[in-house]
Amino acid sequence: MSTGRRVAVTSPQTRLAHARRRYRGPWRPTILDPAEAPRAFALYRRQLRLAAATLVMLFALIFGLPLLLSALPALDEVRLLGIPVSWLAPVAVPFPAMVALAFWHLRKVESAESDSDRESGEADGPGNAGQGNAG
Amino acid sequence: MIVAFAVAPVVLVTLLIGLRGVAAMRTTSDFLVASRRVSPLLNSAAVSGEYLSAASFLGVAGLVVKDGVGSLWFPVGFTAGYIAMLALVAAPMRRSGALTVPDFAEARLASPSLRKLAAIVVLVIGALYLVPQFRTAGLVLSVVSGTPYWVGVAISGAAVSATLALGGMRAATYVQAFQFVFKLLLFIIPAIWLLVQAGPGVRDEAVHPVEFTHFAEETTVQFRVGATLEVPQGVRVVEPDGGTRTVQEGRWNIPAGETVVFPEGGRVPQVLGESAPGAPGWERPLLDLHDEGHPLLGTWAVLIATMLGTMGLPHVIMRFHTSPDGRAARRTAAITVALLSVFYLFPGIYGVLGRVLVPQLYLSGATDSAVVALPAQVDDGSAGTLFTGLLTAGAFAAFLATSLGLLLVVSGAISHDLVPGGLRQLRVAVVAAAVIVVLLALPAARFDAGTLVTWGFTVAASTFCPLLVLGIWWSRLTAPGAIAGVAVGLLGSSGAFLLSVINPPVHGWIAILLVQPAPWSVPLAFATMIVVSLFGRPPPWSTAAMLRLHLHEHRKSPFADRVAMGRDLGHSSWSARRSSAVRRITRRLVR
Repeated sequence: MSTGRRVAVTSPQTRLAHARRRYRGPWRPTILDPAEAPRAFALYRRQLRLAAATLVMLFALIFGLPLLLSALPALDEVRLLGIPVSWLAPVAVPFPAMVALAFWHLRKVESAESDSDRESGEADGPGNAGQGNAG
Repeated sequence: MIVAFAVAPVVLVTLLIGLRGVAAMRTTSDFLVASRRVSPLLNSAAVSGEYLSAASFLGVAGLVVKDGVGSLWFPVGFTAGYIAMLALVAAPMRRSGALTVPDFAEARLASPSLRKLAAIVVLVIGALYLVPQFRTAGLVLSVVSGTPYWVGVAISGAAVSATLALGGMRAATYVQAFQFVFKLLLFIIPAIWLLVQAGPGVRDEAVHPVEFTHFAEETTVQFRVGATLEVPQGVRVVEPDGGTRTVQEGRWNIPAGETVVFPEGGRVPQVLGESAPGAPGWERPLLDLHDEGHPLLGTWAVLIATMLGTMGLPHVIMRFHTSPDGRAARRTAAITVALLSVFYLFPGIYGVLGRVLVPQLYLSGATDSAVVALPAQVDDGSAGTLFTGLLTAGAFAAFLATSLGLLLVVSGAISHDLVPGGLRQLRVAVVAAAVIVVLLALPAARFDAGTLVTWGFTVAASTFCPLLVLGIWWSRLTAPGAIAGVAVGLLGSSGAFLLSVINPPVHGWIAILLVQPAPWSVPLAFATMIVVSLFGRPPPWSTAAMLRLHLHEHRKSPFADRVAMGRDLGHSSWSARRSSAVRRITRRLVR
């Protein structure tokens, strides 16, 4: 028996894989299955549009209300149950409106996700849909 | 007496719930994100419990007394932040699988230096937010019971670090959820009792504000912090022997620790540079910062800072990571909006009653304690003492819940992001961070809590908000761009605050943008990130990394049936899964 250097024996395929640049350390690039990429992109587009719509409404509400109150100082004099309307406005208007907006957005986004599930189920063909849910 | 009666149960229950969380704690994930097993309702109660800090429980009412009805916009901004969070951040953030914000930054952009920078920003925000919590805990205890300032600071530091070091995020979750319910009840019930007990006369005065110029009764003002007052003609004080003496006109420097008694019907001195409660402009529902004459700009600046700052607060984002999946994280955000909306209907009541009953707090700069000072003014019997105790307990719960989350995120930044280590190191980091914060809070009694917290919000708005929004929604963001943007945002917002502390001689809208830099520092940070990124080249996997954040977890896999047939082994040597194939497909989709 020879006492020479020990050499790791690998298949050509493994040698090729090792020769490629690899990510060392804890970080790895995110894996996106190519078959899912179109669906991820459709979801991204739809959620971006929904988020933009919600934010536009939110900004209109919370930046528009101070504008309205500064444009209409007469509201200080109008009283509802003895309380000036302009005092009620920053409390009674934004909070219910924001709760409604939050749940509206939640419903829209969740239905976008389940729509995307349904569409991909149909794309697979009716025969495979049931099987797919199990996996 | 009141201390033992009000604070001891809160501290004890906190510790007991904390002990329950000790079981089954083995990994960093257990410690930092409670193994990601928290349901949306529990989580949103915990988020709200954590978020309703001293600034919400005491601060908003105090600001209403001091600055006017316009301060009611603060809670609106605080709540609106969760809608922005719901729409932009909650679900993708959870789906990234990160444990902390620096973790997310590294996962999305593969830059260890960005992670370190983000961890430093977490430490800055944590310190700016934690020190005022401990400070207010010390001050409120000393106002109510007369204990020295350091006792309250030390009690809260010990309770928070013990709970956290033992039970981690699981304990923090239960404690915060419990304390939300506790705070909600202890805020709403005294508010209704005060309204009923105050009587029609006070209620009528409350909605017809008049300037605070004369003392309605003999008033004792304790100056815990020194003050400079502007004395008009006719200010008198009561001498210890019972006679009165007229104070000389002009400036009046009162040293810290002095107690002054003003007689009934005497003129009220002015605090230098501030208008009295009820002065013209107080009743306007807009925030005229520093009385510079631009109320609309001031209101918008505060709304931008609080809304976008909420989106970037690391301890709030950390709570979303405890959800089992992205959908639960989103539901958490939506329910949080509802829970906070209920709470924020009430600070205004304390504020307008406080202007009538305890306006003298503005002289000593102690309007923060208006909420706990109110019951004694309405009823000097046992009912008043009881409600003072209840409100003190609620306020103490507010400090504890907020400090729990902040201390956790600070120790996570130290021991998970800066010097990665295991569970034991995390526990040590919690105790060490608590000791440092207590030491920082001891000499901080004279700082304005509101200024520090607003500073924290503005730093969060101009660093993490652009990082998260662009990281989640823009595939061309690069690591150098993100680092440049975070650095510019941190330097811009902190620089403006440091400059405003030395009181430069500027007025008008420039002064507002110096006191509240969010309207320019946030767009500046966004612009820096975009411009620097456009000069660079995003890595090839960046589009895939961004799109992956928007795929929900429980989708039907298109490969499920193929796996069943044994064709796809799920590893990258299969040609359709090679990274080059992913790049080709994503390039076709995005641009």
